[in-house]
Amino acid sequence: MKTMKFASVYALLVALFFPAMAFAQTDPGVRSNTGVNAGQPFASVSANANDLAFFQTGLGQFNEHQTVTGDNPGLGPRFNLDSCGACHSQPAAGGTSPASGVFPNVGPNPQSQVIANGVVNGSTNTIPFFVVANGPVREARFPFFFNANGTANTNAPNGGVEDLFTVTGRADAGACNLPQPSFNAARAVNNIIFRIPTPTFGTGLMANIDDSTLLANHAAQANNGLGIGGTFNHNGSDGTISRFGWKAQNKSLMIFAGEAYNVEMGISNELFTQDRPLPGEDQLGSGLPANCLNLAGIGYPEDTTHSDGTSASTVTSDTALFNVFMQFLDQPTPSTTSPGGATSIANGRRLFSAVGCAVCHTPSLTTQPSKLTAGLGNATANLFSDIEIHHMGATLVDNVSQGGAGGDQFRTAPLWGLGQRIFFLHDGRCSNLLCAIEAHDSNGGEASTVEAIFDQNLTPSQQQDILNFLRSL
Amino acid sequence: MQTTLSRCFVLLGLSVSLLARAQGTPQSGGDFANNPEAHKLPSETILVKGAWSSASDSETPVPEGGRVANKVFLNQYFGLTYTLSPDWTERYTGPPPSDNGYYVLAQIRPADTFKGTSRGIILITAQDLFFTPAGNALELMNFTKDKLNADYKVEQPPALVRIGNHSFVRLDYVSPVAELHWHALATQIRCHMVQFVFTSRDTKLMESLIQEMGRMTLPVEAGPISGRGGGEVPVCIKDYAQGENVLERIDPLTAERRFNPVPVRIIIDKEGKVKHVHFLSAFPDQAKAITDSLFQWRFRPYLRDGKRVEVETGIMFGRAPRQPTSSSAEAVNE
Repeated sequence: MKTMKFASVYALLVALFFPAMAFAQTDPGVRSNTGVNAGQPFASVSANANDLAFFQTGLGQFNEHQTVTGDNPGLGPRFNLDSCGACHSQPAAGGTSPASGVFPNVGPNPQSQVIANGVVNGSTNTIPFFVVANGPVREARFPFFFNANGTANTNAPNGGVEDLFTVTGRADAGACNLPQPSFNAARAVNNIIFRIPTPTFGTGLMANIDDSTLLANHAAQANNGLGIGGTFNHNGSDGTISRFGWKAQNKSLMIFAGEAYNVEMGISNELFTQDRPLPGEDQLGSGLPANCLNLAGIGYPEDTTHSDGTSASTVTSDTALFNVFMQFLDQPTPSTTSPGGATSIANGRRLFSAVGCAVCHTPSLTTQPSKLTAGLGNATANLFSDIEIHHMGATLVDNVSQGGAGGDQFRTAPLWGLGQRIFFLHDGRCSNLLCAIEAHDSNGGEASTVEAIFDQNLTPSQQQDILNFLRSL
Repeated sequence: MQTTLSRCFVLLGLSVSLLARAQGTPQSGGDFANNPEAHKLPSETILVKGAWSSASDSETPVPEGGRVANKVFLNQYFGLTYTLSPDWTERYTGPPPSDNGYYVLAQIRPADTFKGTSRGIILITAQDLFFTPAGNALELMNFTKDKLNADYKVEQPPALVRIGNHSFVRLDYVSPVAELHWHALATQIRCHMVQFVFTSRDTKLMESLIQEMGRMTLPVEAGPISGRGGGEVPVCIKDYAQGENVLERIDPLTAERRFNPVPVRIIIDKEGKVKHVHFLSAFPDQAKAITDSLFQWRFRPYLRDGKRVEVETGIMFGRAPRQPTSSSAEAVNE
């Protein structure tokens, strides 16, 4: 009897206190009931045998694991991982950071497995503190160079990539002896930031949007009543709008691919023709030691066009194949019904626009005619980005300048494929959409008013509709 | 019974805290453990600024120089004083001015002590009319109305209203799906459209906030189609730094080629020399080179009623110079 009385009083209190909270919004999580909805080539590519062969060869190269010497040479002497596809794998090749416990269960963070998999020697390399099995793939940067006493020198901006691993100790690395960067020392003075891989689905469409379209969209959003400005990053050579990377610092997918091959995997190529020392090694005037150069023994650049090839696929360099693969990757397919049902998703889409998210996350832009394949031309790119860089304020600042982007400016992250992404924001700090949205409210940020409208002026039900819509993408 | 109730409240508290944890704590995805070392860089601080606002001196007021202090928003450049309603506050300051002349002057929200059932947001912005095609605040509000997307329904098209002693152009619109209303009131000061945007589901709350605007201080010149400076401040003239008005011109020499727009406001003294340079957005090296150059420029002194007066105008560097517009020609012949 006493137990029953307790239970009924508890139930009464729950009923009194919980009605509003019962409707509190939650991130539905990675969409898992619609299959993998990204990673396919354009239909026009599939319909053309030559284009499809090109795409498939590019996919093969994208997933290939590189070694220092051998059939796939050139890895290192410093690198973040040995394959494009290992980092860009969620939910399919070309995507972003995977996880083993989240659909489609691609696997643990591959950077956490490099010793176990023999990619690096465990006696000469350690797994940095920010790489964990259930966390995102990360690259690290030190915003500033260091003073002699180990503090950050704020008069000497750095911001270059500090590769996580070295080939030192590998059987194919000879006498090359390089230490890893001092990540713990950088952490001790708060002079380290992270980036996660950007997904590449649909990037061929982004490459094929004319500057005039972007500028017209920018002009149409003027005086938006939401506190949003925005501007573009520009290519330093020709002054046109650049668009790839977290700060829109890269002009083209070819440059994006060539730089990543060089910086992330240590492979010199026809765009970045030398092995890359760390920013500090260049600052000291030393560069890489001689016994760490030409480790593959094939000269430079390590990746080239093959004059002895017999077809377009075999003539083309790895870098150009990566470019082809990314260009031909179609945009992800959103769901109209999952999660939350068609009504909620449709409502969420309208709310997303009404509260102002769509001022920056432009739902769609139209591409120009394409010579490459029909799917890229005069197409609707549902990217949910204006490709502008915006001040995101103190919460998200990483104090890295790239091109015209300052320390707190980031490109509006395209949201297509969001429903099957695990980690959010440039450093992967969030794996919950509400965390990512909250980070938009920030001192000095352009998105603060819009975030406050979402947070304080929508009902929990309306917020849930927006979350369902985002996870439908 | 008291014991039972106590146990229930403990369980209830536990349930609430568990729920809060489930919804509020994001997964980190990495180890961000604190460490006790000294000399750390400050967190959440913008140290590498990129293109930003700056000025040739720190005494002359600039549009972004307004602040909320002691529950009052004060902007010396615009001559604007706005007392916040009780229980409203500024949580965050806005971003720097954009390179097309858009300012977030203040973002006002309910404080934690706010007791009302409906919440809202007050956004105070400015648009520099030198860097927009619109000729005045009324035109710009009409542009805003015309560009509203299909999610919004206009409740009241731009119309002239008077609140207290002040004149504004007012535009009301609503998002039916969000059940949110936007009431925007704009006036023109020193060739800027200064705008108050109220957003809420509660139109009564919004109206009460709007009526409180009658108590704020604005300069005499403020109005939807006036606000062209003069009196205690320089006369503002669009595109004055063009054609025959420029007697001597030295182009800036920048060491690094960049492609960002660099909007600049200058104040020209009665002798035709530049006395103040304000960069809405520029890298430090650009600001230095352009300032050095502008201080060597000479202008035809501007006459109003036969007397020389100071002039404020805008110049866009970093892009092809704007062509003179009809408004500049009219202004010169004023």
